[in-house]
Amino acid sequence: MKKKWFVVWMVAFFVSLTITTLFSSEKASAQGKPIVIGSPLATAFLYGWDAERAIKLAVEEINAKGGVTVGKEKRPFKVEVMDTRDLEPGVPVSDALLVVEKLILEKNADFIVGGPVRSEAALAAMDLLSKYKKVSILTTGVLTPAYHKRIEAEYDKFKYCFRISGEVGWMVTGEFIPCLMGIKEKFGLNKLFIMVQDVAHARAGGDLVAKLAGEKGWEIVGKEVYPTGTTDYSVGLLKAKDGKAQVILIWMDMPETAILLKQWYDMKIPALPFGTIIAAAEQPGFWKATEGKGEYCMASVVNAGNAPSNATPWTMKFVEAYQKKYGLEPEGYGTSSSYMAVYVLKDAIERAGKLDSDAIVDALEKTDLMGVYGRIRFNPKNHQIIPSVDPNEGAVGTIFQWQAGKRVVVFPPKIAMGEIKLPPWMKK
Amino acid sequence: MDILIYGIVNSFSLALMAIGFTLVYGISRLPNFAHGAIYVITGFGVWWFIHKLHLNYALSIILALVLMGLIGAGVYRFVLIRVRGMATSEIIATYALGLAILEFLRWRGFKGMTYTLPVFIEGSIQIAGVPIDLQRIIVIGIGIVVISFMWLFTHYNKTGLALRGMAQDEHAAMMLGIDSDWMALIAMAIGSILSGLSAVVLLPLGNIVVEAGYNVLILSIAVCIVGGLGSWGGAILAAFMIGFVQILTVRYIQSHFHMVVALLAIILTLILRPSGLFGRQKELEERV
Repeated sequence: MKKKWFVVWMVAFFVSLTITTLFSSEKASAQGKPIVIGSPLATAFLYGWDAERAIKLAVEEINAKGGVTVGKEKRPFKVEVMDTRDLEPGVPVSDALLVVEKLILEKNADFIVGGPVRSEAALAAMDLLSKYKKVSILTTGVLTPAYHKRIEAEYDKFKYCFRISGEVGWMVTGEFIPCLMGIKEKFGLNKLFIMVQDVAHARAGGDLVAKLAGEKGWEIVGKEVYPTGTTDYSVGLLKAKDGKAQVILIWMDMPETAILLKQWYDMKIPALPFGTIIAAAEQPGFWKATEGKGEYCMASVVNAGNAPSNATPWTMKFVEAYQKKYGLEPEGYGTSSSYMAVYVLKDAIERAGKLDSDAIVDALEKTDLMGVYGRIRFNPKNHQIIPSVDPNEGAVGTIFQWQAGKRVVVFPPKIAMGEIKLPPWMKK
Repeated sequence: MDILIYGIVNSFSLALMAIGFTLVYGISRLPNFAHGAIYVITGFGVWWFIHKLHLNYALSIILALVLMGLIGAGVYRFVLIRVRGMATSEIIATYALGLAILEFLRWRGFKGMTYTLPVFIEGSIQIAGVPIDLQRIIVIGIGIVVISFMWLFTHYNKTGLALRGMAQDEHAAMMLGIDSDWMALIAMAIGSILSGLSAVVLLPLGNIVVEAGYNVLILSIAVCIVGGLGSWGGAILAAFMIGFVQILTVRYIQSHFHMVVALLAIILTLILRPSGLFGRQKELEERV
């Protein structure tokens, strides 16, 4: 009797297994073989998790509309995200490289979209991408000009690397300095204190701002470099106060910068906090996290669309779609660019008609579409997105200020939704 | 003046962070490398009680501290008791446990800057023209209370005296009827509560991040090594030395070297005076 039941169970098991396999393979063939997007991201940090969410949102939208047309075939996108941990203090660059290699070799990624997020790791990953001839679109983190300069210097080797987000050179000369000059003109402020994180992009960015602002009539009254993970800024803030600083320029991508703003408020430091890169203040949750103490803090989110504005007709559509899916506004740098990267890749694949890396590189170089943050085009020599302060001409950035619990875009003027305000304890 | 004020605040912060670690080591000779993880889970615990269970702040703190005491006791009863006396295994076990806790928190999505605890009293004052927020004044106050309480507890309370006896000579204490394992369990529980208490007092100054667990552990180790492993007086003195040097470094050199001070202190102590300022590990010193 027992033997009979055993046979019945075994037959039932194999029949159900066969049916499941048949149905699943039928489903796969109906949708075509997925195009795998490998995303190496520091998922514990804003610039990682917002990119992951945005990539998944774009993939979901594209797949819902039938997927990507590759020649005559419709194929869906599939995302494989792996944590690089490269924004964490003390994690070596080699860990991020292992993740990139795993995505290529184990997850069979056709393309790399997203990171690595830390400049040092992304620069090191370029050789790996070149070795495997994998087209990569950087969408978050990495702001160093060295990335596109390296592509330009050794085009044949690094032609597979693209960056769809901003870079320090343009951000400083095209956005931060003009915005600082606007503050100088409007409020008559001219003393600058610089606080940066001890990472490549922040050190370079801080130095560049100091040099250019100095040339434009700003007096640099001090500069502090903080290790990643710093949780006390009080003495640095006192130095800024002693130096009679009127604007504190902050360039840090660690979440602990929320502490800096809380301390700034508690100590009533009479200087406007201007976060050129300030991960904590970028996020919608910043207001609640600082109990409103972060009011008046300015922050750049690098690309439009990372805070609500009407930069292009697609901007608010993206903001609303993100809000509908995740229950909050796009969170900061890396959101709109990661979302756009998937659409740009789709567009390039469809124009190339195949997944061949060299064909995709050619197609990406010819990209010209109106995206979430303006006109998306790559410089064909260095594969850096072409920036502008006019969304009809190129990719526009966004600097906003926290005002009464809202992120109000104040720069560039073409997409501004409000004016810069000073904290009450600064007013004479 | 700002150096004096912020130096004192920083020193009391370090003393609060380290006192639990040095208590456990001083009594049971157990290096509790899960100390930083306990600091972090206390913060998340209080946050959870306030925001998810909607309990009031004071009750959330008490519950979290009781929970930390139970966790500390549990760690000794179910993990450390099995490896006690094997120094390397003790370090590996507690460090692995700490890592597991911190990485579990990260995996469960406890990340970013959205986790914060409210300050006890809002506002700031000026002392000789130097602005300081009231929470930092509270840090000093609680630091004094905790240090005084621990001194009174170990000098006038029966359990406290037994803990001191254990710290002085475990075998002699056992001959007098003191249960070594029970005392070590109590030490772990009190050490964890002290770690939790430091989190409750210090975390409102910033936000709760997993990475803080590693920093707190490094700073606690630095304070204990400089002060002399197991010496409470030494730990407090070391906290003041490191605290002031850190503030002087930030003021006159660069913020960049803030953490280097603690690490350099560990290296210099191990080279020049391996048993620390008030350490009792003379045999180690003799060997060197």
